[in-house]
Amino acid sequence: MSRSHLVQIRDLSVAFDGVPVLHGIDLDVAPGEAVGLVGESGCGKSVTWLAALGLLPAKARVSGQVRLGAVDLVGAQRATLEGVRGAKVAMIFQDPSSALNPVIRAGRQITEALGIHRGLKGKAARREAVRLMELVGIPDPARRFDLYPHEFSGGQCQRLMIAMALAGEPDLLVADEPTTALDATIQAQILDLLATLREEMGMAVVFISHDLGAVAQVCERICVMYAGRIVESGPVGRVFDAPRHPYTRGLFDALPSLTGPRTRLSPIPGTVPDPRALPQGCAFAPRCARAVAVCSLQRPRLEPDADGRALACFDPVPADARTPAEAQHPAARASAAVRAVDEAAPPFMPGPHGAGPAGSGPDRGRWQEAAQ
Amino acid sequence: MTLDVMPDVTRDTPRKAAPLLEADGLVRIYETRKGLFGQPVPVRAVNGVSLKVAQGETLGIVGESGSGKSTLGRMLLGVDPSQEGVVRFAGAPLPAAGTPAWRALRAHMQMVHQDPLAALDKRLTIADQIREPLDIHARGNRAERRARVAELMQAVGLRPDQAGRYPHELSGGQRQRVVIARALACGPSLLVCDEPVSALDVSIQAQVVNLLADMQAANGLAMVFISHDLKVVRNLADRVAVMYLGEIVEEGPVEAVFAAPQHPYTQALVSSVPAPGKRLDGRMILKGEPPNPAARPAGCAFHPRCPHAVASCRAEAPALVPTAAGRRAACHLVGGADRLAA
Repeated sequence: MSRSHLVQIRDLSVAFDGVPVLHGIDLDVAPGEAVGLVGESGCGKSVTWLAALGLLPAKARVSGQVRLGAVDLVGAQRATLEGVRGAKVAMIFQDPSSALNPVIRAGRQITEALGIHRGLKGKAARREAVRLMELVGIPDPARRFDLYPHEFSGGQCQRLMIAMALAGEPDLLVADEPTTALDATIQAQILDLLATLREEMGMAVVFISHDLGAVAQVCERICVMYAGRIVESGPVGRVFDAPRHPYTRGLFDALPSLTGPRTRLSPIPGTVPDPRALPQGCAFAPRCARAVAVCSLQRPRLEPDADGRALACFDPVPADARTPAEAQHPAARASAAVRAVDEAAPPFMPGPHGAGPAGSGPDRGRWQEAAQ
Repeated sequence: MTLDVMPDVTRDTPRKAAPLLEADGLVRIYETRKGLFGQPVPVRAVNGVSLKVAQGETLGIVGESGSGKSTLGRMLLGVDPSQEGVVRFAGAPLPAAGTPAWRALRAHMQMVHQDPLAALDKRLTIADQIREPLDIHARGNRAERRARVAELMQAVGLRPDQAGRYPHELSGGQRQRVVIARALACGPSLLVCDEPVSALDVSIQAQVVNLLADMQAANGLAMVFISHDLKVVRNLADRVAVMYLGEIVEEGPVEAVFAAPQHPYTQALVSSVPAPGKRLDGRMILKGEPPNPAARPAGCAFHPRCPHAVASCRAEAPALVPTAAGRRAACHLVGGADRLAA
């Protein structure tokens, strides 16, 4: 096993009540690296890290390996885990105001973490807490030390959470959708803060998000997850320039854009499969425009690629397709539409077309043909 | 009763020049208390908003939380009363909320909320919920209502066998389809959508955005689309109004506004949209947070965060004035636009 990795996850699986939700995740995080985990709700991106840190409820069955240095965290003693949580690996969550204790002053919550992880007490702890509050960009920290969480705004509560996470001087910060609940301009501030802190403290960051744009801004490497498996991973630039798994490409195609011509969005037809009734082959096959016969029979393995990424697909999108929007050729789109009619019944209503701003364009015609 | 009282959803309604919905100087003041026994503090959640929505047009309203966009959405329907100003629907002022006239009018103006699970009754099947507005407004007879429900379900992409399902048995996207079908049941001419896709995953979000666009094209609906997601608004809306602290600070055709925002706040908002592949560098990151509406800054409400603020911004609130074809902005520095660019 390589020494250069901070965390090494091997074949991590999780089942709730006998229903597997995570099917063998392999993931390495190098010291100082920023890794993004993206995917839709229920794909297992948060469960991966909750399982790794032993934070799942007792009914979850976790197997596999999570190595942090010489320690395997899966099935580790409570004391071992407590030595890791906060001290080596810290985690921040989506909703900062519910993660903070509402009846304890903000500053005290940070000094509590400082006491546990670094043995700081009294004045020294207070001084360090104020320094951390200043570091994460809370204005006038000395005066605001004694305020309660409700007296801070959402963005500032997230800054407090980050300050608490930094209290143990962790090697790895796991940020689970840290900006999802925040406003756009505040989100930009927090992303900026995370990027700066990582640079200054040399700490590794795992950024869990459904927001491809936010991930791109903080991370070097990205793992795209679908139905409890990693389907594509690689350097952010390469994956974003030419996503090769049809699911990754579908995510990009479904995003509206702030520039360029306004076109009808290309949703991924259908919905995420129920973990209790996963398709036999590739979990994405029923929604996939490129699916071939083998996809519904066999599950593709996550295989490394020549250009530094890993891909779990029998028929990936060609790497030379220029932009995600141009990638799917017309035949593939039409078949996607047909499938959508069969399965999810697409947003469609008979009537005069081309009347509205988004109602024209070649795509629309295809939807109609498909439905008729 | 004949079927012609049922709205013909396939009819294309021509756009009319007169606005379908017109709001003039709307003000909504909430009172909050500082502490348990403190003095009540007035909070101007919506502070003098005027807007027009033509038939078949989509007006996007963007802004951060606390900017008053949701309050404004409810005021446009008369759900939330306004202290000042007036809302005119099809030329006539809205009747007071709760009156029979207002209830009757509500068949023509409907709302879609962010959280479909909260908007649906957990103990009613989805067919019952979609039929409920038809029952309330006494549209058609039993068989006609049943046919209308089937038609609506097909239109929004729900399968007939899902009619007997309960909300918890559906996915988030399907639930939002139910809410949309219910809102369309009586054939409204105005739909106010408050963050309708914010709770949905990206791939499902695109399905619902397309659905709303289709429903609008097919029914000639006017839509007020409230969202914090600029990309979705750009995709759906004809015009956009940007709100900050209860006021519209910029308004205009959506593509023009997002391509060349005039108000510094709009510029920051557009700049803060994370684009896949675009790094943080070169983005305009605003300092500070939106101020508390209870302690509105003097002058322009945005001046404490504005990188361009000058003395007059602190003293005097700028009015929303025309700046270019079809565009309005509330900034002292727009108009003397070269000063801003410099």
